[in-house]
Amino acid sequence: MRPDRREDDQVRALHSVVGVLNRVDGSAQFSAGRTSVYSGVYGPVDVRVYDEKLDRTHVEVKYRADTGAAGTKDRWAESAIRQTFERIVMAQMHPRTMVQINVQVRENDGSVDAVAINAVALALIDAAVPLRDTVAAASCAVRGDGSTVVDPTLEEIEDARSVHTFAFASSDLAANLDASTTHPVYVDSRGEFSVDEYDRCYELCARAAQRVLAFMRTAIEDKAAKESQISSSK
Amino acid sequence: MHTFERIHHVEFQRRFLAQKTRHDGRAFSQFRPTHVVKGAINTAQGSSTVRIGNTTVVCGIKAEVSEPDVKTPSEGYFATNVELSPMCSARFRPGAPGEDAQVASEHIHRLFKTNVVDLKTLCIEEGQAVWSLSADIVCLKYDGNILDAAVIALMAALEDLKLPIAELDSATGVVSADRTKAEPLALRKRLLPATFSLVDDAYLVADADDAEEQMATAALLIVLDDSGNLANVWKRGAGLVSSETIRQCIDSAGQRKEALAKTL
Repeated sequence: MRPDRREDDQVRALHSVVGVLNRVDGSAQFSAGRTSVYSGVYGPVDVRVYDEKLDRTHVEVKYRADTGAAGTKDRWAESAIRQTFERIVMAQMHPRTMVQINVQVRENDGSVDAVAINAVALALIDAAVPLRDTVAAASCAVRGDGSTVVDPTLEEIEDARSVHTFAFASSDLAANLDASTTHPVYVDSRGEFSVDEYDRCYELCARAAQRVLAFMRTAIEDKAAKESQISSSK
Repeated sequence: MHTFERIHHVEFQRRFLAQKTRHDGRAFSQFRPTHVVKGAINTAQGSSTVRIGNTTVVCGIKAEVSEPDVKTPSEGYFATNVELSPMCSARFRPGAPGEDAQVASEHIHRLFKTNVVDLKTLCIEEGQAVWSLSADIVCLKYDGNILDAAVIALMAALEDLKLPIAELDSATGVVSADRTKAEPLALRKRLLPATFSLVDDAYLVADADDAEEQMATAALLIVLDDSGNLANVWKRGAGLVSSETIRQCIDSAGQRKEALAKTL
């Protein structure tokens, strides 16, 4: 029995606000239970000469955790998010520019990497940065008794034998979920686990990511509907 | 040939990859010769030198006595730092650690903190004195695959580490340690890494060198422990790597683990 009485394969209540910030080109707040992350995206914008690339846009990520001084943990998260979205963004469409992705963790109650990736995906869509695909992420943890729980809280992570975060491209999730043919965009599995446990986590997270994707689609559709109301009433 | 390599290094590499070989003659699944030497530095309590092909890394672990954190009175400290300076490659600028070094430091720390080093084994006297281990992993020559080299170097240095048997004199509060009597640290397990890269978005190779790394769109790190369990699967970069391929890499990592275990 999980502390919050969820089923093992149940994701926490998802909540998002697309376009929550009004100074950036695109933004989103994404929450799963109490874990909540803001993302603000600028792009394409001016780029420092040092970072300028002749044939593509430069993708940059700035990450701040909810607490603590900036450090290597933030650089690690920046690197993970940047490498995930570098290829998702259609970089060749805007050479010699920059897409800057800002991430601010509002509250961390576990699975913050997955929630951050989802927030960034929504913010990029809101900013109308050309994207190859969209990305949905989910986490799970393997407990001491061998059972696997999806979207773990901080408490569940502390007691877990291994924690796994996977991100998938939506085109993969739309097709059949045959594990052997999907291509995870991001994988981070840590702890002590067997190959079987890794496979089980992969499948659970893929299913959870499908649900997250459906939620994200609704959020974007709502926003698009609102915008078309505003423009048609002018 | 050398001119071509310099001016069109991507095309140069492609000539080899298209023929299912690599510019140094290796097969896609082949790791470079790996050498480990323990105890290279006398002034450190534990040290090692690791060479994977041309990538050379030195790890030194210094131990100091310190007061424990109030919240964890029976736990010592373990810090890791990976240094990538201009000395090892023109890729790195002088000054504050760049992203590569910081990401490597953080990742190594996460790997070793729970899996290998039990902070409770560093306790001298609960609430009063603990060992603080500071591991510095310095890259001397960078030719790709810093993560594998750093993991192997830190693992070897920890196995080389001997801590003087320390005693706290409760009257004076002074910790005395006899350097001639030193004991190795009890480690939880041994970690053995294997890195694979997706070069030019098409060719999956093991142990990419610097030239291949520059063209890689995805990197996959697999860390196994000595009992064959996985400790880490870390895939980053959105180059397409199917989960079938990841499984194959896990198998390859198993073979690499056997070879590494003999070297360590």
